[in-house]
Formats: sequence, C-alpha cells, structure tokens
Amino acid sequence: MGVSALRTENLSKRYGRLLALDGLSLDVAAGEVFGFLGPNGAGKSTTIRLLLGLARPTSGRAWIFDTDAADVAAAHRRLAYVPADVALWPRMTGAEVLDLLARVGPGTDTAYRDELIQRFALDVSKPAGTYSTGNRQKVALVAAFATRAPLLVLDEPTSGLDPLMELQFRQAVGVARDNGQTVFLSSHQLAEVEAVCDRVGILRAGELVEVASVAQLRRLHHTDVAATFPGTPPDLAGVQGVDGLHEDGATSVRFTLSGSPAAALRALADADVTTIVVREQSLEEIFLAYYGHNAR
Amino acid sequence: MIVTTTAAARPEHVLRGLAVRQVRRGGLVVTAVCACMSALVVVGYRSEALDPAALAALARNPAIRTLFGEPVALDQAGGFTVWRTSVVLAVLLGVWTMLTATRITRGEEDAGRWNLLLSGRITLPEAVRQHLGVLAVVPVLVGAATAVAMIAAGVDATGSLLHGTGLAAVGLFFVAVGGVTAQLFVSRSESNGVAAAVLVVGLLMRMVGDGVPALAWLRWLSPFGLMALTRPFDTNRGLPVSVLAFAAVLLMALAGRLAARRDVGAAILATPGSRPARTTLLGSVPAFAVRRTMRPLAAWSAGIGAYFLLLGLIAQSMTEFLAGNPEFASMAAQAGFPALGTVEGYAATLYALLAVPVGVFVAVRLAATAADENARRLTLLLAAPVTRARLLGAEAAAAGCAALVLITVAGIAMWAGTATVHAGLAPGDALAGAWNVTPVVLLCLGAAVLALGWAPRAVAAIGALPAAGGFLWQVVADSIDAPTWTRALSPFTHLAAVPSTAPAWPAASVMAGIAAAGVIVGTIGYRRRDLSA
Repeated sequence: MGVSALRTENLSKRYGRLLALDGLSLDVAAGEVFGFLGPNGAGKSTTIRLLLGLARPTSGRAWIFDTDAADVAAAHRRLAYVPADVALWPRMTGAEVLDLLARVGPGTDTAYRDELIQRFALDVSKPAGTYSTGNRQKVALVAAFATRAPLLVLDEPTSGLDPLMELQFRQAVGVARDNGQTVFLSSHQLAEVEAVCDRVGILRAGELVEVASVAQLRRLHHTDVAATFPGTPPDLAGVQGVDGLHEDGATSVRFTLSGSPAAALRALADADVTTIVVREQSLEEIFLAYYGHNAR
Repeated sequence: MIVTTTAAARPEHVLRGLAVRQVRRGGLVVTAVCACMSALVVVGYRSEALDPAALAALARNPAIRTLFGEPVALDQAGGFTVWRTSVVLAVLLGVWTMLTATRITRGEEDAGRWNLLLSGRITLPEAVRQHLGVLAVVPVLVGAATAVAMIAAGVDATGSLLHGTGLAAVGLFFVAVGGVTAQLFVSRSESNGVAAAVLVVGLLMRMVGDGVPALAWLRWLSPFGLMALTRPFDTNRGLPVSVLAFAAVLLMALAGRLAARRDVGAAILATPGSRPARTTLLGSVPAFAVRRTMRPLAAWSAGIGAYFLLLGLIAQSMTEFLAGNPEFASMAAQAGFPALGTVEGYAATLYALLAVPVGVFVAVRLAATAADENARRLTLLLAAPVTRARLLGAEAAAAGCAALVLITVAGIAMWAGTATVHAGLAPGDALAGAWNVTPVVLLCLGAAVLALGWAPRAVAAIGALPAAGGFLWQVVADSIDAPTWTRALSPFTHLAAVPSTAPAWPAASVMAGIAAAGVIVGTIGYRRRDLSA
C-alpha cells in the first residue's frame, strides 16, 4: 500500500455525555479524492477539527503524512483547509485576507491564485464585512486551492455557492487531483461527491459505517416512481428492480426503482400509463433506506 | 377541538420579552450599586463635620472642581453625596447603558440573530425602538432607586428626586447615543468606539467647564455638565435636566428614524465599497496582532492622553490649595491620597488611577482574541502552520506592548501639562511614575491569559479584575478601615508612590512573578483545551 495522506486510529471524541466520534479508523491514500459523507451531526466536522488539532481527541490518534496531527507546526505545512462556515475580519478586504493566509500558510502559487480569483469571480477589493456567505467561502477556497499543500481538507465547501461556482469548484478539484494533491471532501451533497470523489466514507452517529468506491455507492441509489392509469393499475410485484410497491388510490401506484428501469418501464407502457413522476431520492432518503437495511 | 398552534402573541410583546431577558441581570446590578453607594455615603456623612470656611475655599479651587466637579451644598449630607458619587455613578450608568444599547441591537444583528427575528411580522425600526425602549426603563429605575435610597437614608426629598432624575437623564442619553451609533456603523465595535468617544468628550468638557470659568458654558453641551448644573440640595434647577432629557428623547427618535432608512445588516454610514489592499503588517502572526492593535491603541491613547494632560494642567493649582489647607491635606491622606501637597506626590497619587484604564485595555484586547476565536475568525490562521502558543504569545505581547505605549503616553501627557503651568515635574519623574503601574497591568495580562486558557467566556471580567477590582477593593477597604491583611489583597497597596518615593522593587517583582505564573498556566490551558474555532 502507498503513502497515507491522512490516517486515524480509533479516533474518539466525547463532549460530556455525547460521544461525537466513536473509534474512527480511516486511511486516505496520497493522491486520492476522498468523500466524507454523513447527515448533520454525524461527526464529520468533529473529525476535521480533530485532524486539524483544533480539538483534542478523547482517545486515538491521527496522522497527516505520518506527522502526528497534534504537531500542527509540522502537519499544517502539508495541508490547506476550507471551513464550512468561513468567518473573516470584516474590515479587511478579500485581497488582504488572501495575502495574510499566503504569508502565514504552507506556500502559495500566486499566479494560480490570481487565476482562481478570476474563475470564482471574486471581487477582492471589497471589505469582508460586505461579503455574502458564498463570497466568504470563495476567499477560503481560493486560498486553499492556490497552495501547493499536498492535502486539501474541505468541510462542506460549496454550501454557499451557486451552480456555476460549484462547477468551478469541481474543476479546481480536478486540477488538484492532476497535481497529485489529496482532497478530503466532507459533504452531504451526494451529487458533488459522486462527481469528484474516488472513494467515500459514510459516517453515522459518530461511527464509520461504510467505506466504498463511488461505483459501489451508486448501488445505494433508488428512484421514487408514481404512476397513474386510466383503469386498474397493473400488478408490478415481481418486476425486476421494483420495490416498496403500494397502491395510492384506485388508479395509481408508487414504488421505488433500483438498477435498470427497463423491465418496469415495459410493464408500465403495456398498461397504458397516463402520467408518470420519477424522482431521485434525496441523500437523506438513501441514507435512511440504507441504514434501515443495515440495521436489520 | 384541540388547538395545537401557538397562540399568535402580539409581536411587540415577544420583542419586549426578548429585550428584558437581555438587560435584566445587568440592570439590576447597576441599580443596586447606584442605590447602595448613594445611601452609604449619606449615612457615612454624619460622622464627619466640615469647617464652612474651608468648604468655601474648596469650592473655589479650580483643580478640585475639575477633578471632582463643582462642590455645592457640601454642608449637607445630600449635597456631599451628590458631589462624591454623581460623576462615578453617571459614568458607570452611561458606560453600561451605552454598551448594552449596542449589544442588544447592533450586536444581535451583527451575529445574524435578527435575520430570523425580522423575517416575521416585526420590522427593523420596531425592533430597534422596542429594544431601546425596554433598556430605557433601567436608567429610570436607577434614578428612582437612588432617590428612594437617599430619602430613606434621611436627606431632603426634593434634592434626592432631582439627583435621581439627573442620573436617569444621563442614562437615557447614553441609551440613545448607543442606539444612534448602532444605526450609523455596521459593526458593534465601531458603534461602541464612537459612543465611548461621546462619553469621554462629554466628561472632558465637564472637567474643563468646571475648572475654567471662561469656558463654563461647555457644561451645557455635556450630559455630565448638565447633570451637575441641576445643583441638587442647592438651587435645585430643573432646566438643565429638562434639556438633557429632551436631547435624549430627540436622539431616541433619531435612532428609530435611522433604523427605518437602512437595510437589516447594513448601516447608515456605508463601509467604502472597494479600496486598494493595505498589506503592511500582514507578513506574520505577530505582525498581524500588532496590526489589529493599532486602531484601539490610537483611540485609547487619545482618551488617556487628554485626561492626563488635563491632570497635569491643574497640578499646580491642586498642590498649592492642599499646601495652604492642611485640613484637606490630612483628609486626603486619610482617604488614601497622601502627599498631595507636592507635585511629585500629586503625580504619584493620580498615576495609580492610570492602572485602571490600562489594565482594562489589556483585558479588552485579550477578550477580542477570545471573541475572534468564538466567531471562528481564528480558524483559518490556526489551520496554517501556526501553533496556539505562538498565536497566544503574539496576541499577549501585542497587548502588553500597547499597554506600555499607553502608560508612556500618560506619562508624557502629564509632564506636558505640568510643564505648561510650570509645576516643576521633571520628565524623568513623570515617566518613572507612569511606568510604576506596570506590575498591576502585568497582573491584568496574566489574569486575562489565564482566563483565555481556562474560562474563555470571562476574559474581559477576569482580566480587568486586578486593576478595576483591586482599585475598588482598596477604596472600600480605606473607607471602612479594614484590617491590613484585607488591604494587602489589592495590588494597589503594594505600589510605591513613585516619583515621590523610590519604586518598591520587591513588591513589583512578586507581582510580575504572579503575572508570569498566570501567563504560563493560561498558556498550558489554551494549548490543551478544545477551541471553539
């Protein structure tokens, strides 16, 4: 196995009676784009705070490229970070913040930084106090992507960005991957994770419940389907991919679809379907379904 | 049928309830302090008897008038109480109401909590008016409680009520000042800074107006001057307090109007849209700490410098008066102000006061670090290769060095004042006297770092304790003739009267040692704990 960019061993964090993180053991290889998924309160941010040395683990240890994460002077020379909720000094302009972070940080490619400022359409001459949430996030993203740090730790970095900017973000992650940088992306936006990540870890209530490739994650996908018919709905029980079937009134049915939809669509077409609504399940629903299966 | 929705309460009731929760504790403390202190001084007065001729000389002396206000009706318990307490209580009430006004309006808005509040049926001007309206009840309560306490302690009702009204009017004025600056500026710190400047300028105008007969009209422009002009227990004038109350009402209405003319989260005085980057002092963590200290240091230097310049200007008059009136000199000595009769003794006594604002300055600077951590502004810095010890060291060193600058500014200002009136204070003596308070300031630094490590919510209070708490402790201990060991708890007891005597090096070393221990233990705590960043 190659070099680990980020490694934890039985990492736990307890806040009073709440066990926020329970024995997390994780290994992210250098050069990998790793998605860290989980619903709110699952312990994603706690994990990152422990990795950055902002909080102290109750037990267990963490390493950044084989440097103890607690030794921040050495460990932080090899990482850059984008927090979920970026707070800046309100009177400093974006350019001043970027200058400060470049001068105290792990080294910055200023030419690439200027390019990123253009791409993210960030007006750096304005004081940070006038920035929206998204603009503050852009400042932190530009600062992080412009470093040559071999590890980028991104905590829900696109929660305030519009779709255009999210596209820029995905491109920047691609550039980082091409440069051989490792990206640790915490998110609860499944589409974003699917688009950029090689592997994902799923956290639930402080425990790592799954580490899988994105191809494996896709199998978690279900689609909600609702269909109405001129008369009695056909019997879809036993059709390949159809699950959770129930009648919704006399002329309509609902079911979830997984895998190939071909068989189900044929069955519906044969029955002269009048309307059909197909909706992708939200991450939350997938998680709920997934956790439900696992619990059984 | 069971109704499960919450009854649609009237929004103004909800707003008022919210405001009451934010001001009730502080309001009760301020009310209790004002009422109790006034009653205690009334009761204490009866044991002292003053010679009318000496009192008349006192009332004529410009230095006494500048420092303590115009002495009127000192032959009565009520008049004496007003003279002794009115400036202190008015400043206390003014500072509290001003800080609270900006905290519950701009502070809440700044923290983003009003976004949710104002998404309902409540408008911004309504929220501002209701919050200021609830806060305005506190000074009225303070004035009433003070008047009742004084009447209960046995002084004349008219004077007591007028004094209470004056106190209430000053409080209302600063509720309104805080309310207006909160509309003008986009951040709470800027609003506080400008409101504090109004307070300091008002105080200096009162001092100059009292001390210089040709400039007596200045008092009509100052809330503290107007309060003094009512002359309770003497001529009992109602006009000045009416002017002050009218000004307060106008400002209060202005705050509501200004709130109606701006957006939520914005301010009347807009921050400049764009500007070129100023990249000086951004190169390292210590440089950045210095950069953030510069503006507050300039503002505090201006205030403290002006105050000590004024003290220097009245030095000659004060020392001559006390040299010619040994009765007051011995009274002053009993009250903990010995050797006021020489310019060195005068300087030494007043320099002790310097430790209070400078100690508070240090505490406030480290509290700003705690606030930066709490607001998560430090997160990006701490994600860089910057250890916590280095960050804390830089912040503490910047605050400490800035405090030394403040102390030096006070020394130079006092010397400049005394030199102008040829009072004969040598520049070396002036600086030595100012630097003599350094150990107390170091204690504040040690306490503030200790708090940052172990109790980050209470940095300002714990950091200011050695200076502000120690000073009050000494004043109370002196007034009630407390046993020696209780006096020894105040760091002020261990300060030598430099420049009239040599510095007390052993005591200074012990205080510096305690401060160093505080810094070390605080740093250990700061390195170990979880950051809220």
